[in-house]
Amino acid sequence: MLKNAVPPYLKSEFTVFSMTRSTLLAQLSLLVVPILYYGFRPLVVAGASMLTAVACHVLFCLIRGKNISITEISPLVTGLMIALLLPMNVPLWLPCIATAFAMLVAREPFGGFGRNPFNPAAAGLVFVTLCWPRLVFSYFDPSRASSFPLLGAGTYSMVSSPSQVLKQGFKPDILPREMLWGNFAGPLGTTGILIIGACGILLFLTRAAKPEATLCFLGAAALAAALFPRILCSPLTSVKYELLSGSLFFCSVFLVTDPVTSPRTLPARCLYGAFAGAMTMVFRWLGTYEQGACFALLLANAAAPLMDSAVFRLRGWEGKPNEE
Amino acid sequence: MPRGVKLDLEKEPSLKEQVITIPAPKTLPAPKMFASLRKKAAAAKVLERARIAEIVDELDGEPLYKKLKRFVSADALTLVAVCFDEDPMTSATQAVFRENAAKVLAGLDAAAHACRAVSKKIAAASREEFRYVPKNRAGVELLTAGDRYPAAVLLRRKWMEKGKSAGFIGGQACAALADAVTRGLAQNETVVTVAGNGASRWVNCRVRIGTPVRDVLAAGKLLPETSVVAVGSSVNGRSITNLSEPVTAATRCIIAMKGLPRRKTLPCVGCGRCERACPRGIIPWMILQQLELEEPNPFRLFNVEHCIQCESCSIVCPSGIHLVDAVRRAEKIKEGRENKGC
Repeated sequence: MLKNAVPPYLKSEFTVFSMTRSTLLAQLSLLVVPILYYGFRPLVVAGASMLTAVACHVLFCLIRGKNISITEISPLVTGLMIALLLPMNVPLWLPCIATAFAMLVAREPFGGFGRNPFNPAAAGLVFVTLCWPRLVFSYFDPSRASSFPLLGAGTYSMVSSPSQVLKQGFKPDILPREMLWGNFAGPLGTTGILIIGACGILLFLTRAAKPEATLCFLGAAALAAALFPRILCSPLTSVKYELLSGSLFFCSVFLVTDPVTSPRTLPARCLYGAFAGAMTMVFRWLGTYEQGACFALLLANAAAPLMDSAVFRLRGWEGKPNEE
Repeated sequence: MPRGVKLDLEKEPSLKEQVITIPAPKTLPAPKMFASLRKKAAAAKVLERARIAEIVDELDGEPLYKKLKRFVSADALTLVAVCFDEDPMTSATQAVFRENAAKVLAGLDAAAHACRAVSKKIAAASREEFRYVPKNRAGVELLTAGDRYPAAVLLRRKWMEKGKSAGFIGGQACAALADAVTRGLAQNETVVTVAGNGASRWVNCRVRIGTPVRDVLAAGKLLPETSVVAVGSSVNGRSITNLSEPVTAATRCIIAMKGLPRRKTLPCVGCGRCERACPRGIIPWMILQQLELEEPNPFRLFNVEHCIQCESCSIVCPSGIHLVDAVRRAEKIKEGRENKGC
């Protein structure tokens, strides 16, 4: 018996699922080095955060009477991203609260994946930064002995992160070359600069993400760091410290490239990246907190539709003339 | 940035075999015959012959004489014979070209003479196809199709961007015109590819026009699991349920399929792939955005009237959205607005 069917009879292999899966795998790879150093504590932090994200997603699906699909793995990405943006020594409830805020306030009420105007992970992180800044910015010293049980508080000594030192106007006592390997105080997933860079290149080459916003973000941040160094040093040193410290590099690869919240035309994406990069540096200069990338990203998210409109206004709403 | 979609070509299985001939059903009338034309017949005579021979261009289903008549008014026209198939599973025109390139070239000569084209070109699937062109043919330039779907539309776009006027006619129509001019035959047969994962044998068949689809499908040794039969293309063909439908001159393939990829539709993620894939300058994601509004702004639905329903946007969409449908709805809205005079 023959059935009627609607074309297209072909579908490309590239789907939302494969796109989110590669982002998720890239982020998971950032956990490998901390696990090797400190045991399974990083995995517990990430797991708690991801579980919260899935629970919130399921809850919302039940409330709205939607089907729950196992191919919907974007809550995992949000949860994992938040865990990676927080220090490893935070109490376990902190990433859970951040993730709950991200899912229940920033993502699901807007219609879920694909319809959220703000990056949920950035929103969750901004929420906990504003509420518990002391917890968010307290880092353990990776160069001293420390032990982390799977659940409890652990024993460790505190240290200021390079971005805190920069904020105070001093030069961090670690060489930028050594910062590449990630052995310095900072949020869990954001210190492994080389691994993040490799993940970024892989995502760009497999077309899972687009590089232009990242490049403009880093370019604008580097330019700002070179022109207005916060510490007394050569512009190049300032650029190195600013780009390598804090969550800036991580955000440039994983948050700025999020296709849902970034503009959809190429010139607007470049502008978006540059705007977010410049705002990050403004927040670092003038803001109260040492990290500004997530705040800057939310601002850029809000301006994204406007940037698209501006591009179309310049290009002409009629689009490119067609042949006939 | 290249437009269109890169698809996996599956032409080798059907090109491996020679073109087979399917016997015409006895109920069909015998083909019409005319006196053959002289070698140096006037252009108008060739045009007239294309009309009475009822040749249909397989590229778009337009009668060849109408098309050539349109071309007459263009100045400095380049006539391009399209000797490849856009569809990834179809190889009918390519098979005709391989079988008798000289005939296709003769048809191209006659067509170029009829519409006073200044230059003639052959567009083939790849560089390797050129070895089928007879060696002594000077004056015919060769083009390659490129590997992106829809190749003929993209080729045309390239020409238009250069600002040159070009006319595209199908290779099978060229062969039919050559027959009509030299042998006085009306177009009565066409070559059709039978393929798809529901057919165990992929083959090109020479079929009398009017033969029911069922007879042609029999050559493909259909598997019992076949659930969908599409006519015209393995990408955007029309699915049929009545197998006694006749084959027309514009039928290039009959695809038997076991099942279709079924994907959940998700909201647009804004990846912009549809915009890059569209060969006609439509921005499907923006149309989708506009359609979600209560009052879509018709000025933001640009180029929707140029949609050729090639389905490139729907193929690439990672969210599985049927974008062609959205474009079609947008076209209706735009038409409605224009009729109201806004």
